[in-house]
Amino acid sequence: MSSYEPKLVCFSCKFGWGYLNTEEALAKQIKNWVPIICSGKVDSSHILTAFRQGADGVLILGCRGGDCHYQDGNYEAKKRVYLLHKVLESYGIESERLRIELSIDPEGNKIPQLVKEMSDRIAKLGPVKKVGEPAKAVAVV
Amino acid sequence: MADKPKVAICWLGGCGGCDEAVVDINEVLLRVANATDLVLWPVALDFKYDHIEAMSDGEIVLSIINGNVRNSDQEEIAKLLRKKSQLVLAFGACACFGGTPGLANFTTKEDIFNWVYRDAPTVVNPEGKYPQPKSRVNGKELTLPKFYEHVFALNQVINVDYYLPGCPPPPYLVMNAVSAVLEGKLPPKGSTLSPRRALCDTCPRNKTKPSRIALRDIKRIHEVEADPDSCFLAQGILCLGAATRGGCGESCISINIPCRGCFGPVDGVVDSGAKFLSALASIIDAEDDEEMKKVIDKIDDPAGYCYRFSLPVSLLRGKRS
Repeated sequence: MSSYEPKLVCFSCKFGWGYLNTEEALAKQIKNWVPIICSGKVDSSHILTAFRQGADGVLILGCRGGDCHYQDGNYEAKKRVYLLHKVLESYGIESERLRIELSIDPEGNKIPQLVKEMSDRIAKLGPVKKVGEPAKAVAVV
Repeated sequence: MADKPKVAICWLGGCGGCDEAVVDINEVLLRVANATDLVLWPVALDFKYDHIEAMSDGEIVLSIINGNVRNSDQEEIAKLLRKKSQLVLAFGACACFGGTPGLANFTTKEDIFNWVYRDAPTVVNPEGKYPQPKSRVNGKELTLPKFYEHVFALNQVINVDYYLPGCPPPPYLVMNAVSAVLEGKLPPKGSTLSPRRALCDTCPRNKTKPSRIALRDIKRIHEVEADPDSCFLAQGILCLGAATRGGCGESCISINIPCRGCFGPVDGVVDSGAKFLSALASIIDAEDDEEMKKVIDKIDDPAGYCYRFSLPVSLLRGKRS
Protein backbone atom coordinates (compact mmCIF):
# COMPACT_ATOMS: atom_id res chain seq x y z
CA MET A 1 0.00 0.00 0.00
CA SER A 2 3.07 2.31 -0.09
CA SER A 3 1.90 4.03 -3.28
CA TYR A 4 -1.55 4.67 -1.88
CA GLU A 5 -2.46 8.34 -1.74
CA PRO A 6 -5.66 9.07 0.18
CA LYS A 7 -8.29 11.20 -1.49
CA LEU A 8 -8.96 14.16 0.76
CA VAL A 9 -11.58 16.87 0.43
CA CYS A 10 -10.76 20.16 2.12
CA PHE A 11 -13.34 22.86 2.82
CA SER A 12 -11.86 26.13 4.07
CA CYS A 13 -13.50 29.38 5.13
CA LYS A 14 -12.50 32.32 2.93
CA PHE A 15 -12.64 34.70 5.88
CA GLY A 16 -9.84 33.01 7.79
CA TRP A 17 -7.87 30.96 5.30
CA GLY A 18 -5.86 32.18 2.32
CA TYR A 19 -7.62 35.50 1.72
CA LEU A 20 -4.32 37.25 0.99
CA ASN A 21 -3.47 34.67 -1.65
CA THR A 22 -5.23 33.92 -4.92
CA GLU A 23 -7.51 30.92 -5.14
CA GLU A 24 -5.79 29.91 -8.38
CA ALA A 25 -2.39 29.75 -6.68
CA LEU A 26 -3.72 27.71 -3.76
CA ALA A 27 -5.86 25.43 -5.91
CA LYS A 28 -2.69 24.29 -7.69
CA GLN A 29 -1.33 23.02 -4.39
CA ILE A 30 -4.48 21.48 -2.93
CA LYS A 31 -6.49 18.76 -4.60
CA ASN A 32 -10.25 18.69 -4.03
CA TRP A 33 -10.19 22.06 -2.31
CA VAL A 34 -13.49 23.84 -1.75
CA PRO A 35 -13.09 27.42 -0.49
CA ILE A 36 -16.37 28.50 1.08
CA ILE A 37 -17.83 31.43 2.92
CA CYS A 38 -18.07 30.19 6.53
CA SER A 39 -17.35 26.67 7.71
CA GLY A 40 -20.88 26.68 9.16
CA LYS A 41 -22.07 26.44 5.56
CA VAL A 42 -20.71 22.90 5.29
CA ASP A 43 -23.83 20.79 5.72
CA SER A 44 -23.76 17.19 6.93
CA SER A 45 -24.93 16.15 3.48
CA HIS A 46 -21.87 17.81 1.87
CA ILE A 47 -19.59 15.78 4.14
CA LEU A 48 -21.48 12.52 3.60
CA THR A 49 -21.60 13.17 -0.14
CA ALA A 50 -17.81 13.52 -0.18
CA PHE A 51 -17.49 10.08 1.42
CA ARG A 52 -20.18 8.71 -0.89
CA GLN A 53 -18.16 9.92 -3.87
CA GLY A 54 -15.02 8.19 -2.68
CA ALA A 55 -13.26 10.57 -0.30
CA ASP A 56 -11.02 8.89 2.27
CA GLY A 57 -11.11 11.95 4.50
CA VAL A 58 -12.68 15.38 4.91
CA LEU A 59 -10.88 18.35 6.44
CA ILE A 60 -12.78 21.49 7.41
CA LEU A 61 -10.86 24.68 8.15
CA GLY A 62 -12.86 27.31 10.00
CA CYS A 63 -12.04 30.57 11.74
CA ARG A 64 -10.67 30.78 15.26
CA GLY A 65 -13.15 30.56 18.12
CA GLY A 66 -14.82 33.95 18.52
CA ASP A 67 -13.62 35.19 15.11
CA CYS A 68 -16.52 34.02 12.92
CA HIS A 69 -17.78 36.72 10.57
CA TYR A 70 -21.28 35.35 11.16
CA GLN A 71 -20.88 35.11 14.93
CA ASP A 72 -20.78 31.35 15.45
CA GLY A 73 -20.68 29.49 12.12
CA ASN A 74 -17.36 27.87 13.05
CA TYR A 75 -18.86 26.62 16.29
CA GLU A 76 -21.88 25.26 14.41
CA ALA A 77 -19.49 23.34 12.17
CA LYS A 78 -17.63 21.99 15.18
CA LYS A 79 -20.81 20.62 16.77
CA ARG A 80 -21.82 19.07 13.45
CA VAL A 81 -18.44 17.37 13.10
CA TYR A 82 -18.58 15.95 16.61
CA LEU A 83 -22.07 14.56 15.98
CA LEU A 84 -21.04 13.20 12.57
CA HIS A 85 -18.09 11.35 14.09
CA LYS A 86 -20.59 9.14 15.88
CA VAL A 87 -22.68 8.66 12.76
CA LEU A 88 -19.67 7.82 10.59
CA GLU A 89 -18.56 5.17 13.08
CA SER A 90 -21.94 3.46 12.72
CA TYR A 91 -21.17 3.27 8.99
CA GLY A 92 -17.79 1.73 9.78
CA ILE A 93 -15.92 4.92 8.82
CA GLU A 94 -13.27 5.90 11.37
CA SER A 95 -13.87 9.29 13.03
CA GLU A 96 -10.25 10.34 12.23
CA ARG A 97 -11.37 10.66 8.62
CA LEU A 98 -13.36 13.79 9.44
CA ARG A 99 -11.48 16.64 11.06
CA ILE A 100 -12.12 20.29 11.80
CA GLU A 101 -9.46 22.86 12.59
CA LEU A 102 -10.36 26.33 13.81
CA SER A 103 -7.52 28.77 13.25
CA ILE A 104 -6.40 31.62 10.98
CA ASP A 105 -3.98 31.64 8.07
CA PRO A 106 -4.32 34.70 5.80
CA GLU A 107 -1.69 33.49 3.31
CA GLY A 108 -3.19 30.00 3.21
CA ASN A 109 0.26 28.39 3.31
CA LYS A 110 -0.78 26.10 6.12
CA ILE A 111 -3.62 24.59 4.08
CA PRO A 112 -1.49 22.28 1.90
CA GLN A 113 0.53 21.39 5.00
CA LEU A 114 -2.59 20.45 7.03
CA VAL A 115 -3.94 18.46 4.10
CA LYS A 116 -0.61 16.62 3.86
CA GLU A 117 -0.54 15.88 7.60
CA MET A 118 -4.08 14.52 7.54
CA SER A 119 -3.36 12.59 4.37
CA ASP A 120 -0.37 10.93 6.05
CA ARG A 121 -2.47 9.93 9.02
CA ILE A 122 -5.23 8.55 6.79
CA ALA A 123 -2.74 6.65 4.64
CA LYS A 124 -2.18 4.45 7.67
CA LEU A 125 -5.90 3.63 7.79
CA GLY A 126 -6.06 2.81 4.10
CA PRO A 127 -9.01 3.60 1.82
CA VAL A 128 -12.58 3.72 3.11
CA LYS A 129 -14.06 0.31 2.53
CA LYS A 130 -16.79 0.04 -0.07
CA VAL A 131 -20.32 -0.90 0.77
CA GLY A 132 -21.77 -3.48 -1.61
CA GLU A 133 -23.63 -1.76 -4.42
CA PRO A 134 -27.06 -3.17 -5.23
CA ALA A 135 -25.90 -4.03 -8.73
CA LYS A 136 -23.62 -6.71 -7.32
CA ALA A 137 -26.37 -8.63 -5.65
CA VAL A 138 -29.34 -7.50 -7.67
CA ALA A 139 -29.52 -6.42 -11.29
CA VAL A 140 -31.80 -3.44 -11.85
CA VAL A 141 -34.61 -4.07 -14.35
CA MET B 1 -63.94 -9.36 -15.09
CA ALA B 2 -61.89 -9.14 -18.24
CA ASP B 3 -62.19 -5.41 -18.82
CA LYS B 4 -61.63 -4.37 -15.21
CA PRO B 5 -58.13 -3.07 -14.50
CA LYS B 6 -55.97 -5.77 -12.96
CA VAL B 7 -54.32 -4.87 -9.65
CA ALA B 8 -51.74 -6.83 -7.63
CA ILE B 9 -50.85 -6.21 -3.99
CA CYS B 10 -47.73 -7.90 -2.74
CA TRP B 11 -45.66 -8.18 0.42
CA LEU B 12 -41.88 -8.48 0.32
CA GLY B 13 -39.59 -7.77 3.31
CA GLY B 14 -42.03 -6.09 5.67
CA CYS B 15 -44.09 -6.74 8.76
CA GLY B 16 -47.53 -7.01 7.16
CA GLY B 17 -48.64 -3.67 8.58
CA CYS B 18 -48.86 -2.25 5.07
CA ASP B 19 -51.30 -4.95 4.02
CA GLU B 20 -53.23 -4.06 7.15
CA ALA B 21 -53.22 -0.44 6.00
CA VAL B 22 -54.91 -1.51 2.75
CA VAL B 23 -57.64 -3.19 4.81
CA ASP B 24 -57.90 0.01 6.88
CA ILE B 25 -59.58 1.79 4.00
CA ASN B 26 -62.61 -0.19 5.21
CA GLU B 27 -65.68 -0.27 2.95
CA VAL B 28 -63.82 1.65 0.27
CA LEU B 29 -61.93 -1.60 -0.24
CA LEU B 30 -65.18 -3.19 -1.42
CA ARG B 31 -65.55 -0.46 -4.04
CA VAL B 32 -61.94 -1.04 -5.09
CA ALA B 33 -62.59 -4.78 -5.30
CA ASN B 34 -65.63 -4.04 -7.46
CA ALA B 35 -63.84 -1.67 -9.77
CA THR B 36 -60.73 -3.81 -10.20
CA ASP B 37 -59.70 -7.38 -10.76
CA LEU B 38 -57.38 -8.29 -7.88
CA VAL B 39 -54.97 -10.77 -9.39
CA LEU B 40 -52.62 -11.18 -6.45
CA TRP B 41 -52.80 -10.42 -2.75
CA PRO B 42 -51.02 -13.21 -0.86
CA VAL B 43 -51.93 -11.98 2.60
CA ALA B 44 -55.67 -11.95 1.90
CA LEU B 45 -56.49 -14.14 -1.10
CA ASP B 46 -55.19 -17.37 -2.56
CA PHE B 47 -53.54 -16.73 -5.89
CA LYS B 48 -50.56 -18.49 -7.42
CA TYR B 49 -47.45 -16.87 -8.84
CA ASP B 50 -47.86 -19.22 -11.83
CA HIS B 51 -50.96 -17.23 -12.78
CA ILE B 52 -48.94 -14.03 -12.79
CA GLU B 53 -46.16 -15.64 -14.84
CA ALA B 54 -48.72 -16.75 -17.42
CA MET B 55 -49.92 -13.17 -17.96
CA SER B 56 -48.67 -11.03 -20.78
CA ASP B 57 -46.25 -8.20 -19.98
CA GLY B 58 -47.98 -5.06 -18.75
CA GLU B 59 -51.29 -6.87 -18.26
CA ILE B 60 -51.50 -5.71 -14.64
CA VAL B 61 -52.40 -2.02 -14.46
CA LEU B 62 -50.99 -1.44 -10.99
CA SER B 63 -48.81 -3.43 -8.62
CA ILE B 64 -48.80 -2.16 -5.06
CA ILE B 65 -45.63 -3.54 -3.49
CA ASN B 66 -44.77 -3.18 0.17
CA GLY B 67 -41.63 -4.31 1.98
CA ASN B 68 -37.97 -4.17 1.05
CA VAL B 69 -35.76 -6.67 -0.77
CA ARG B 70 -33.33 -8.73 1.29
CA ASN B 71 -33.39 -12.11 -0.41
CA SER B 72 -33.57 -13.72 -3.83
CA ASP B 73 -37.23 -14.69 -3.42
CA GLN B 74 -38.25 -11.07 -2.84
CA GLU B 75 -36.12 -9.97 -5.79
CA GLU B 76 -37.74 -12.53 -8.07
CA ILE B 77 -41.29 -11.49 -7.14
CA ALA B 78 -40.44 -7.79 -7.47
CA LYS B 79 -39.03 -8.37 -10.96
CA LEU B 80 -41.95 -10.56 -12.00
CA LEU B 81 -44.46 -7.91 -10.95
CA ARG B 82 -42.44 -5.18 -12.64
CA LYS B 83 -42.51 -7.11 -15.90
CA LYS B 84 -46.22 -7.75 -15.77
CA SER B 85 -47.27 -4.27 -14.57
CA GLN B 86 -47.82 -0.91 -16.22
CA LEU B 87 -47.33 0.89 -12.92
CA VAL B 88 -45.51 -0.04 -9.72
CA LEU B 89 -46.31 1.77 -6.49
CA ALA B 90 -43.74 1.43 -3.68
CA PHE B 91 -46.05 1.24 -0.71
CA GLY B 92 -44.83 2.10 2.78
CA ALA B 93 -41.49 3.06 4.28
CA CYS B 94 -39.82 -0.33 3.68
CA ALA B 95 -40.52 -0.32 -0.06
CA CYS B 96 -39.73 3.40 -0.40
CA PHE B 97 -36.57 3.62 1.76
CA GLY B 98 -35.80 0.19 3.22
CA GLY B 99 -37.72 0.92 6.42
CA THR B 100 -36.89 -0.18 9.94
CA PRO B 101 -35.54 -3.56 8.73
CA GLY B 102 -33.10 -1.46 6.69
CA LEU B 103 -31.29 -0.66 9.96
CA ALA B 104 -29.78 -4.11 9.47
CA ASN B 105 -27.44 -2.36 7.03
CA PHE B 106 -25.53 -1.10 10.09
CA THR B 107 -24.67 -4.77 10.68
CA THR B 108 -23.11 -7.28 8.35
CA LYS B 109 -24.80 -10.40 7.06
CA GLU B 110 -22.09 -12.39 8.81
CA ASP B 111 -22.80 -10.74 12.18
CA ILE B 112 -26.53 -11.35 11.74
CA PHE B 113 -26.00 -15.05 10.96
CA ASN B 114 -23.51 -15.48 13.81
CA TRP B 115 -25.92 -13.95 16.30
CA VAL B 116 -29.05 -15.73 15.09
CA TYR B 117 -27.50 -19.18 14.56
CA ARG B 118 -24.60 -19.22 17.02
CA ASP B 119 -24.26 -16.53 19.68
CA ALA B 120 -27.76 -15.64 20.88
CA PRO B 121 -28.25 -17.09 24.39
CA THR B 122 -31.27 -19.12 23.29
CA VAL B 123 -29.44 -20.87 20.44
CA VAL B 124 -28.25 -24.48 20.74
CA ASN B 125 -26.30 -25.33 17.60
CA PRO B 126 -23.38 -27.62 18.54
CA GLU B 127 -22.74 -28.63 14.93
CA GLY B 128 -22.54 -24.98 13.87
CA LYS B 129 -25.12 -25.39 11.12
CA TYR B 130 -26.09 -22.34 9.15
CA PRO B 131 -28.96 -22.24 6.65
CA GLN B 132 -27.77 -22.77 3.08
CA PRO B 133 -29.52 -21.85 -0.18
CA LYS B 134 -29.25 -25.54 -1.13
CA SER B 135 -29.08 -28.59 1.13
CA ARG B 136 -29.75 -32.31 0.76
CA VAL B 137 -32.13 -34.09 3.13
CA ASN B 138 -32.95 -37.79 2.61
CA GLY B 139 -31.57 -37.66 -0.90
CA LYS B 140 -33.72 -34.68 -1.86
CA GLU B 141 -32.49 -31.18 -2.53
CA LEU B 142 -34.08 -28.43 -0.47
CA THR B 143 -33.72 -24.79 -1.40
CA LEU B 144 -34.02 -21.55 0.51
CA PRO B 145 -33.93 -18.01 -0.87
CA LYS B 146 -30.43 -16.50 -0.87
CA PHE B 147 -29.96 -13.96 1.93
CA TYR B 148 -28.30 -10.85 0.48
CA GLU B 149 -25.52 -8.80 2.08
CA HIS B 150 -27.80 -5.78 2.41
CA VAL B 151 -31.39 -4.64 2.60
CA PHE B 152 -32.49 -2.83 -0.56
CA ALA B 153 -35.29 -0.37 -1.14
CA LEU B 154 -37.59 -1.39 -3.99
CA ASN B 155 -36.18 1.19 -6.43
CA GLN B 156 -32.70 -0.28 -5.95
CA VAL B 157 -34.01 -3.49 -7.50
CA ILE B 158 -36.68 -2.47 -10.02
CA ASN B 159 -37.93 0.77 -11.52
CA VAL B 160 -40.63 2.31 -9.37
CA ASP B 161 -43.27 4.67 -10.78
CA TYR B 162 -44.80 6.11 -7.61
CA TYR B 163 -44.04 6.24 -3.91
CA LEU B 164 -46.40 6.23 -0.97
CA PRO B 165 -44.37 6.40 2.25
CA GLY B 166 -45.39 5.80 5.85
CA CYS B 167 -45.19 3.08 8.43
CA PRO B 168 -47.82 2.33 7.35
CA PRO B 169 -49.32 4.83 4.89
CA PRO B 170 -52.51 6.38 6.33
CA PRO B 171 -55.88 5.31 4.84
CA TYR B 172 -56.68 8.67 3.23
CA LEU B 173 -53.45 8.62 1.20
CA VAL B 174 -54.07 5.00 0.20
CA MET B 175 -57.52 5.98 -1.06
CA ASN B 176 -56.16 9.04 -2.87
CA ALA B 177 -53.51 6.89 -4.56
CA VAL B 178 -55.94 4.17 -5.65
CA SER B 179 -58.49 6.70 -6.96
CA ALA B 180 -55.77 8.60 -8.83
CA VAL B 181 -54.83 5.39 -10.66
CA LEU B 182 -58.43 4.37 -11.37
CA GLU B 183 -59.35 7.86 -12.58
CA GLY B 184 -56.10 8.33 -14.50
CA LYS B 185 -55.26 11.50 -12.54
CA LEU B 186 -51.69 10.65 -11.61
CA PRO B 187 -48.89 13.19 -11.15
CA PRO B 188 -45.64 12.80 -13.15
CA LYS B 189 -43.86 9.46 -12.71
CA GLY B 190 -41.41 9.35 -9.84
CA SER B 191 -43.72 11.41 -7.62
CA THR B 192 -44.39 10.71 -3.99
CA LEU B 193 -48.15 10.59 -3.47
CA SER B 194 -48.09 12.68 -0.32
CA PRO B 195 -47.87 16.40 0.54
CA ARG B 196 -44.52 17.98 -0.28
CA ARG B 197 -43.91 19.98 2.88
CA ALA B 198 -42.16 18.96 6.06
CA LEU B 199 -44.18 17.70 9.00
CA CYS B 200 -43.26 20.78 11.10
CA ASP B 201 -45.27 22.89 8.65
CA THR B 202 -48.53 21.23 9.64
CA CYS B 203 -47.66 20.20 13.18
CA PRO B 204 -50.21 21.57 15.66
CA ARG B 205 -47.35 22.17 18.11
CA ASN B 206 -45.45 24.40 15.70
CA LYS B 207 -46.77 27.61 17.23
CA THR B 208 -45.15 26.70 20.57
CA LYS B 209 -41.70 26.50 18.99
CA PRO B 210 -39.46 29.34 20.20
CA SER B 211 -37.68 31.37 17.51
CA ARG B 212 -34.40 29.87 18.61
CA ILE B 213 -34.14 26.46 20.24
CA ALA B 214 -31.10 25.97 22.48
CA LEU B 215 -30.74 22.54 24.05
CA ARG B 216 -28.47 21.83 26.97
CA ASP B 217 -29.90 18.39 27.54
CA ILE B 218 -31.39 15.72 25.28
CA LYS B 219 -34.05 13.46 26.71
CA ARG B 220 -35.64 10.32 25.40
CA ILE B 221 -39.40 10.16 25.25
CA HIS B 222 -39.71 7.42 27.86
CA GLU B 223 -37.56 9.30 30.36
CA VAL B 224 -39.88 12.26 30.73
CA GLU B 225 -43.52 13.13 30.84
CA ALA B 226 -43.66 15.17 27.66
CA ASP B 227 -45.94 18.17 27.54
CA PRO B 228 -48.71 17.14 25.10
CA ASP B 229 -48.97 20.56 23.44
CA SER B 230 -45.41 21.86 23.11
CA CYS B 231 -42.84 21.34 20.39
CA PHE B 232 -40.86 18.19 21.20
CA LEU B 233 -37.54 19.68 20.11
CA ALA B 234 -38.07 22.66 22.39
CA GLN B 235 -38.54 20.14 25.22
CA GLY B 236 -35.23 18.50 24.37
CA ILE B 237 -36.87 15.41 22.85
CA LEU B 238 -35.61 14.43 19.40
CA CYS B 239 -38.40 14.75 16.84
CA LEU B 240 -37.61 14.27 13.16
CA GLY B 241 -40.53 16.39 11.92
CA ALA B 242 -38.22 19.14 10.67
CA ALA B 243 -36.61 16.82 8.11
CA THR B 244 -39.53 14.52 7.36
CA ARG B 245 -42.24 14.79 4.73
CA GLY B 246 -45.69 15.50 6.12
CA GLY B 247 -48.94 13.81 5.18
CA CYS B 248 -49.03 11.22 7.95
CA GLY B 249 -51.87 13.04 9.68
CA GLU B 250 -49.62 13.68 12.70
CA SER B 251 -50.64 10.30 14.07
CA CYS B 252 -47.57 10.00 16.35
CA ILE B 253 -47.56 13.65 17.43
CA SER B 254 -51.23 13.42 18.44
CA ILE B 255 -50.50 10.59 20.86
CA ASN B 256 -47.53 12.48 22.32
CA ILE B 257 -44.84 10.54 20.47
CA PRO B 258 -42.22 12.47 18.47
CA CYS B 259 -41.80 11.95 14.71
CA ARG B 260 -39.45 9.10 13.82
CA GLY B 261 -39.26 9.94 10.13
CA CYS B 262 -41.31 7.20 8.43
CA PHE B 263 -42.38 9.53 5.58
CA GLY B 264 -38.79 10.01 4.49
CA PRO B 265 -37.26 13.14 2.99
CA VAL B 266 -39.16 16.08 1.52
CA ASP B 267 -38.92 16.69 -2.24
CA GLY B 268 -35.42 17.60 -3.34
CA VAL B 269 -33.65 16.01 -0.38
CA VAL B 270 -31.79 12.72 -0.78
CA ASP B 271 -30.69 12.05 2.77
CA SER B 272 -33.17 13.20 5.40
CA GLY B 273 -30.94 11.86 8.19
CA ALA B 274 -28.12 14.19 7.18
CA LYS B 275 -30.50 17.13 7.11
CA PHE B 276 -31.74 16.31 10.58
CA LEU B 277 -28.19 15.87 11.89
CA SER B 278 -27.34 19.39 10.70
CA ALA B 279 -30.46 20.81 12.30
CA LEU B 280 -29.82 18.91 15.50
CA ALA B 281 -26.22 20.08 15.82
CA SER B 282 -27.33 23.68 15.37
CA ILE B 283 -29.84 23.62 18.23
CA ILE B 284 -27.36 22.20 20.71
CA ASP B 285 -26.25 24.91 23.04
CA ALA B 286 -23.12 24.73 25.17
CA GLU B 287 -20.60 27.08 26.77
CA ASP B 288 -17.55 25.10 25.76
CA ASP B 289 -16.38 21.97 23.94
CA GLU B 290 -16.65 19.80 27.01
CA GLU B 291 -20.27 20.73 27.58
CA MET B 292 -21.06 20.31 23.87
CA LYS B 293 -19.61 16.80 23.94
CA LYS B 294 -21.57 15.98 27.07
CA VAL B 295 -24.87 16.96 25.41
CA ILE B 296 -24.09 15.08 22.17
CA ASP B 297 -22.77 12.00 24.01
CA LYS B 298 -26.16 11.68 25.63
CA ILE B 299 -27.82 11.00 22.28
CA ASP B 300 -28.16 7.26 22.15
CA ASP B 301 -27.27 5.89 18.69
CA PRO B 302 -27.68 9.08 16.64
CA ALA B 303 -27.19 7.21 13.35
CA GLY B 304 -29.91 4.71 14.16
CA TYR B 305 -32.18 7.51 15.30
CA CYS B 306 -31.79 9.65 12.20
CA TYR B 307 -31.91 6.76 9.71
CA ARG B 308 -34.56 4.68 11.42
CA PHE B 309 -36.52 4.26 8.18
CA SER B 310 -34.12 5.34 5.49
CA LEU B 311 -30.69 3.77 5.93
CA PRO B 312 -30.59 1.76 2.64
CA VAL B 313 -31.29 4.91 0.60
CA SER B 314 -29.02 7.18 2.68
CA LEU B 315 -25.91 8.65 1.07
CA LEU B 316 -23.64 6.10 2.73
CA ARG B 317 -26.14 3.20 2.54
CA GLY B 318 -24.74 0.94 5.25
CA LYS B 319 -21.80 -0.34 7.20
CA ARG B 320 -18.42 -0.92 5.61
CA SER B 321 -16.98 -4.26 6.58
